[in-house]
Amino acid sequence: MFGSRPVYNSVRYLLILLAVVIVLIPTVWMGTMAFKPFPEWTTATGELSWLPKNPTWGNFEYIFTGQTADLLVTLDRTAERPILASLITAVLGTAIAVIVGTLGAYAVSRFRVGNNLPLSVLQLRLFPPLAVMIPVMIMWSFLGMVDTWWGLSLIYGIVTLPFAFWLMKTFFDEVPVEIEEAALVEGCSRFRVFWKVTLPMVKAALASTCLFVFILNWSDYLIALLLTRKDWVTIPVYMNSLASAMGGQMYGCKAALGLIAAIPPVVFGIAIQKYLVRGLTFGALKQ
Amino acid sequence: MTATTATEGKHRRGKKPGVTPLEAEGLRLGFLMSLPAQLLLLFIVVFPLLMQVYVSLTYWGPLDGESWIYAYSSLNWFDNYGELFADGRFWGSIGRTLLIVVVCVPIEFLLGLGLATLFVDRFPGRRIFYSILLTPMMIVPAVAGYMFFMMFQSTGPLNDLFSRITGLTVDFVWLSDNDLAIVAVMIADIWQWTPLMFLILLAGMMGVPEDQLKAATLLGANAWQRFWRIVLPKMKMVMIIALVLRAVECFKIFDLLFVMTKGGPGIQTESISLYIYKLTFADLEWSYVAALGLFMLIALSLLAWVGLVAMQRAQARAQAPGGAEA
Repeated sequence: MFGSRPVYNSVRYLLILLAVVIVLIPTVWMGTMAFKPFPEWTTATGELSWLPKNPTWGNFEYIFTGQTADLLVTLDRTAERPILASLITAVLGTAIAVIVGTLGAYAVSRFRVGNNLPLSVLQLRLFPPLAVMIPVMIMWSFLGMVDTWWGLSLIYGIVTLPFAFWLMKTFFDEVPVEIEEAALVEGCSRFRVFWKVTLPMVKAALASTCLFVFILNWSDYLIALLLTRKDWVTIPVYMNSLASAMGGQMYGCKAALGLIAAIPPVVFGIAIQKYLVRGLTFGALKQ
Repeated sequence: MTATTATEGKHRRGKKPGVTPLEAEGLRLGFLMSLPAQLLLLFIVVFPLLMQVYVSLTYWGPLDGESWIYAYSSLNWFDNYGELFADGRFWGSIGRTLLIVVVCVPIEFLLGLGLATLFVDRFPGRRIFYSILLTPMMIVPAVAGYMFFMMFQSTGPLNDLFSRITGLTVDFVWLSDNDLAIVAVMIADIWQWTPLMFLILLAGMMGVPEDQLKAATLLGANAWQRFWRIVLPKMKMVMIIALVLRAVECFKIFDLLFVMTKGGPGIQTESISLYIYKLTFADLEWSYVAALGLFMLIALSLLAWVGLVAMQRAQARAQAPGGAEA
């Protein structure tokens, strides 16, 4: 847009590098903190350094086994269970959102049935979840779903349904009906056409939708905070309780846990970069 | 897409006599396929909403020892609603949340727009820089909050960095300072969500037709003029989408705050979500929270409706002859 003058180019690289540095500072700090032994955590416990002087796996060891050489207190609840809980509920929540969303999106896209759906599901994203959580909490405890894997998965499936629905709707809208009509002429039933013709055509898009919705579910903190107590707390909830249980701040251990939590969404996010804009704007924009 | 509209249009008009078996099959299948989504909506919207209205008209709380069904025994009609208008902490938290939205969203927008203009044309390393700049928005917000919690410790890296640069001993207690705490939270929010603006605005900018830009260049327009006269008007819708999305999400701000300050010091950084959270878990005033939530539901719906109408008007004006931007 601005031509290719050498001055502009060098200024551009300078600005981009500045942005990259700003993006990386907190990230790198957490990444290196995860490998720092206790004395290097803050200036209060020793000297501050940007790179670990004596890199160690101690922090990971501590959160998984509850013990490590540096720290005297043993941890009574280790990290495997929260990690497992995060995985299970995020995967199941994604399955619910994508299955229900895909079916609904196809119905709206092809048969114009359920025309209230596009706007009704959007409503689910408009309001702060806390403003509508009281009845949900009452219902969940009434149905015995508080602090269970199915209760958390169900609510995850519901809150990410709008994204799955809108993404899949834009993908179905792009599939030319002529191909389906050809299959119909050959005598396939409507459902067979959907299952054997349309769905295979949007396979890649469906996989991207799954990853996108998984990132959203994995990123949740608030809902797990409200609807889990002990058995099914997820990584962020567990991570935040780590500090309060120990008195002091467990910088290194929490950074190790944070690193584990941060990696899957970043990897998946880069993998589906092409569809991020579409997903985040509910299909209003395409890249 | 257009083909579907045409054929399905025929369905609706000729419902009684002219429905072919194939069309009937489509309608039946469509009904079945949309059923799960409709049931989930019924389950999570209609029933809870009725329950929320009911509970909000009482003094019921989770420790009453009675099921919510018997909440009518402490019926008070609109006392909760009257209370919320006099609740200074509620209005304070609304004001604080709006302050965060009003400061963060425009800054994120401008930074994102600036970055997007740098990325419009190709240059070596574009892809890798693009991926790096997008990472903050993919990091779990609670973890991002914790990153900044560490950064802003008085014994943490940021003060250390400032000390080294200035040569003085900088020891701000960022997160427990009355004024700095909210600044720290805003910095974290801007760090995490500028990439979203960047992503959306860049996508919009890439959609601006190149031949128009070339024509403008030939006619002697400089970069600044091209940006104001061609790029901006073409991107109006994209910008509105980006701003609305971000404002709606920013208004819900919770994770970052909860991890970084828990609303402190005192209630200096208490957002509306955080206030409701404390009312729910510390004070257990569930019926009051139900009333607060309903009030916000109505207020936000009105706002959304006004926004929608304004947008439709603007669109109609843009499409009207002579109203279009040159």
